[in-house]
Amino acid sequence: MDPLTLTNPIEMLNELVPELQASFDSAFVIEFGNSGFGITQYMLYAALVWVIVLAVVMVAGRKLTLVPNSKFVNMVEYGYQMVRNSIGEGTIGHGYKKHVPLLATLFFFILISNFIGLIPGSKAATGSIQITWALSIVSFVYFNYWGVKAHGGWGYIKSIAPSGLPAPMVPIIWVFEFVSLVIRVLTLAVRLYGNMFAGHMALGVFALFASTFLLAAINGAGAIGGLSIVWLAFEVFMYALETLVAFLQAYVFTILTAVYINLATSSH
Amino acid sequence: METTIVLAALKLVGYGLGAIGPGIGIGIACYGACVGTARQPELAGRLFTNFILGAALAEALALLGFVLVFII
Repeated sequence: MDPLTLTNPIEMLNELVPELQASFDSAFVIEFGNSGFGITQYMLYAALVWVIVLAVVMVAGRKLTLVPNSKFVNMVEYGYQMVRNSIGEGTIGHGYKKHVPLLATLFFFILISNFIGLIPGSKAATGSIQITWALSIVSFVYFNYWGVKAHGGWGYIKSIAPSGLPAPMVPIIWVFEFVSLVIRVLTLAVRLYGNMFAGHMALGVFALFASTFLLAAINGAGAIGGLSIVWLAFEVFMYALETLVAFLQAYVFTILTAVYINLATSSH
Repeated sequence: METTIVLAALKLVGYGLGAIGPGIGIGIACYGACVGTARQPELAGRLFTNFILGAALAEALALLGFVLVFII
């Protein structure tokens, strides 16, 4: 097919560089017959992340002492304290302690998943929309549950609009706030997925350009092959940026969950 | 065939236009958070939380555009 007849930019890239797109596909590693159900590579990476998080926490939990005396335990405690103090206490405030387990689980799962994606050849589990949907639905159900628990069913529905508005404005503001509440499940999922997917796609495209120019130089294109070094420099810069983004997106997802829990449970 | 190229290009142009607003919004929010933190460093934590919340709300528009590029 002529690549230019395709309308979707991802499909265009797919036609031009099949290998790049194929590496992002959620293809089945194991399929159960022809049922359309199976285990994809992202599911395997998610399971790997789950095992790593569990192993890290269990090993650190077994060696727990009043004064941490190994570097590993110290590191895990530092991460946990950051979630508890900076995200939990700083954002939710009073009564934050019962929400810390969920926040810490989300933070460590997303962080380790993002960092695994930075290892060349492996994928970030959060780079697929299905897994980020699952994470954001967990967060969405959780803060609505605590909102209903704090205000009661009808009270929670009323508390979506801030109090102290003039009576005619209440339905209008309520609709706006309700839309912004429902859209949170979409934005949480797409923010994480978009950042991880687009970042890895950019890394792939830059690596592709570097190798294309290098091949051109080997085949006798001459000085234009020097552009390969420029693209390699871009690749290194982008990799450094992705390392920052990997941490930042885990932090942002967790802190937004904390903010939403705070908004749902606090009385306006 | 030319129509489909124009449509594909217009989607990207539309997303670019849609990203202007959130970009300006997040820039203003970051400016406000920086100035506020410089004037009152002890409020840094609360300012940062509000900045993240405001940036998330502004970013929602850009993310909607990102989704629409793929699904339309």
